[in-house]
Amino acid sequence: MAGMANPVVELRAVRKAFVAPGGEIVPVLDIDTFALEAGEQCALEGQSGSGKSTLLNVIAGIMRPDSGNVFVGGQDIARFDEASRDRVRADTLGLVFQQFNLLPGFTALENVLVAMSFGSVRPDRTRAADLLGAVGLGHRLDHKPAELSIGQQQRVAVARALANRPRAVLADEPTASIDTRHQQQVIDLLRDSCRTEGAALLVVTHDPGVAGQFPRQVRLEDFNRAARAAASPARPA
Amino acid sequence: MTLFGIAWRNIRQRLLTSGLTALSLALGVALVVATLVTGRIVNRAFESGSGLGYNMIVGAKGSPLQLVLNSVYFISKPIENISWAFYQEFLSAAARPDGIDGRYAASTRTAVPICMGDYFRGHRVVGTNAAFFDRLTRGDGRPFEFTAGANFTDDDFFGGVLGAAVAAHLGLRVGDSFAPTHGADDGAVHDPFKVVGILARTDTPLDRGVFVNMEGFYLQDGHAKPLPDGEAPTAVAPPQASGHVPLPFNQREVTAILLETASLPGLPAELTAMGLRTAINEGRDGQAALPVAEIRQLLDLFVRPLELLLLLVTALVVLVSAIGILVSMVGSSLERSRDVAIMRALGARRSHVLATVLIEAVLLAVGGGIAGWVLGHLLVGAIGPWITTNAGVTASVFSAAPLAEALLVPFLVVLAVVAALLPAIAAYRTDVAKWLQGPG
Ligand SMILES: Nc1ncnc2c1ncn2[C@@H]1O[C@H](COP(=O)(O)OP(=O)(O)O)[C@@H](O)[C@H]1O
Ligand SMILES: [Mg+2]
Repeated sequence: MAGMANPVVELRAVRKAFVAPGGEIVPVLDIDTFALEAGEQCALEGQSGSGKSTLLNVIAGIMRPDSGNVFVGGQDIARFDEASRDRVRADTLGLVFQQFNLLPGFTALENVLVAMSFGSVRPDRTRAADLLGAVGLGHRLDHKPAELSIGQQQRVAVARALANRPRAVLADEPTASIDTRHQQQVIDLLRDSCRTEGAALLVVTHDPGVAGQFPRQVRLEDFNRAARAAASPARPA
Repeated sequence: MTLFGIAWRNIRQRLLTSGLTALSLALGVALVVATLVTGRIVNRAFESGSGLGYNMIVGAKGSPLQLVLNSVYFISKPIENISWAFYQEFLSAAARPDGIDGRYAASTRTAVPICMGDYFRGHRVVGTNAAFFDRLTRGDGRPFEFTAGANFTDDDFFGGVLGAAVAAHLGLRVGDSFAPTHGADDGAVHDPFKVVGILARTDTPLDRGVFVNMEGFYLQDGHAKPLPDGEAPTAVAPPQASGHVPLPFNQREVTAILLETASLPGLPAELTAMGLRTAINEGRDGQAALPVAEIRQLLDLFVRPLELLLLLVTALVVLVSAIGILVSMVGSSLERSRDVAIMRALGARRSHVLATVLIEAVLLAVGGGIAGWVLGHLLVGAIGPWITTNAGVTASVFSAAPLAEALLVPFLVVLAVVAALLPAIAAYRTDVAKWLQGPG
């Protein structure tokens, strides 16, 4: 697209609908275009239920859109079968969620190593340890998640998202379950780490204070027709 | 991390459940192995009787199985004795005082008499002649060997040979004396015999036998058959250099005769044996039994079905353990769903998470299986000495039923994979998006 030199993620005419329990079809995504440039840092806001998580799942290849193109690293994963989308996700994307991020039976180091197991590069213990050192957990490598604070767990998650040198990191409300004092640390960590690693960053957040720090801020309702329709006050009589 | 590493982590994460599952599997496998191995030992104990250098046993009328068990395996009691005259019918002219061929001499290659009834400190005493070790074989067809000394000679009336287990058990050596007791261990004490040879181990019941020259055996109290009223003892050979006078022939009896049948001219060996057996069994003097046939019948009718039953029971135990694997894995599948979702989000394919669950089950099966295999052999090793002394075959940690044991672990792996299929499919189907949302 004009003006977009080198997008890591690019959506075109993406539609996604769910079938509600009652049987009616509920459109969740109807997006003309959306792109994330290489190295770009972007905050994504939107009402609860507006489709932010669905959008991230579609970009990550966890969900397949009903129609449209989803370019990740130049490949249209909307055309790929699931296993191929899994491979693209392992190699080009890092994911951070709100909670239940880490594998409870695995140490901090192993959590990072597991992420390296599914990509096309060999697991690298040294890099895993370095990443944990960079997020300030060099002394907690062999701790299980239960032995770490929530903030420390989220830092392991950040290190893990960067394990395979991703082109972009997708974070779904990464600070929602952390107390305010540590929220800022996690955001700083995400932004600094992504900058260091040269990865683009897309962060879903409810917090205007968090969103305000990002050079680019978007509201899902502004480019998702399905969310606009759902949010409109017009109701059938 | 490899998928193996991930599966191993999952096992360690649920150490108690995994441990208990593997343990129950190990116990089941230990039972199966112990059953297989002891079954094999028992079979070998009986099958070893087929290469002893004789193919027929002649004894008093009664149960042929009892005759075989008593004469070959030293199990059960002797039936009765047969007459010396009947024994003579199997000998050729050269071996008989009257210089005439016995009635069955032509059908007989070797005839070795045995006399039973005495004991020495819990071991069966067998009176026989030198032909026993000179002409018969160890059970595997090879001639007997002696670790010390040699066989007794027919004119050494008080020479004796000890089975390997007896010598080891009683600590007796060549040159030592031993005095058998009459009838049972608390019976009258007989004259002492002298150990002239110690048999090399044969892994047959002979290992627990004490063998003495029957000429000396006959001279013991209660071993001479009382003569009927008015009958005079037959002529007796002059005293030996040692001063012993042999027992008159008409006062002698034997318990059984171990026969190697010959081949009548123009007749195959089998038919000669059949004919001889029929002739003996139709007469009044005794019966002829074929040890191999009797043992095969015993195995087929009794030992094998029992073994099969035991195996069936133990197989059920293993099956229950496999179901244990399933239950433990299904029980943890909720917890697993979250882990699966996280791994999928990290780029794991469905096939990866499926494989992880299956590998986990296989690791449990192989781990439990190997532990059980070792345990089973230790079990056999623990009861080995008991089996060795009672069955006359070696049973040790290293006793094995190679084929069945080799099949055991692959079988367990298949069982584990089948058991884990359900949780594995559940993992395969996990809805990633749903689980990533968490409960919030
Ligand atoms: N798997 C699904 N099946 C049916 N409806 C779904 C599913 N996932 C999400 N939805 C619906 O789609 C809408 C958007 O959900 P989501 O993307 O999670 O919103 P957000 O993350 O912005 O809060 C919601 O109305 C939700 O109920
Ligand atoms: Mg959401």
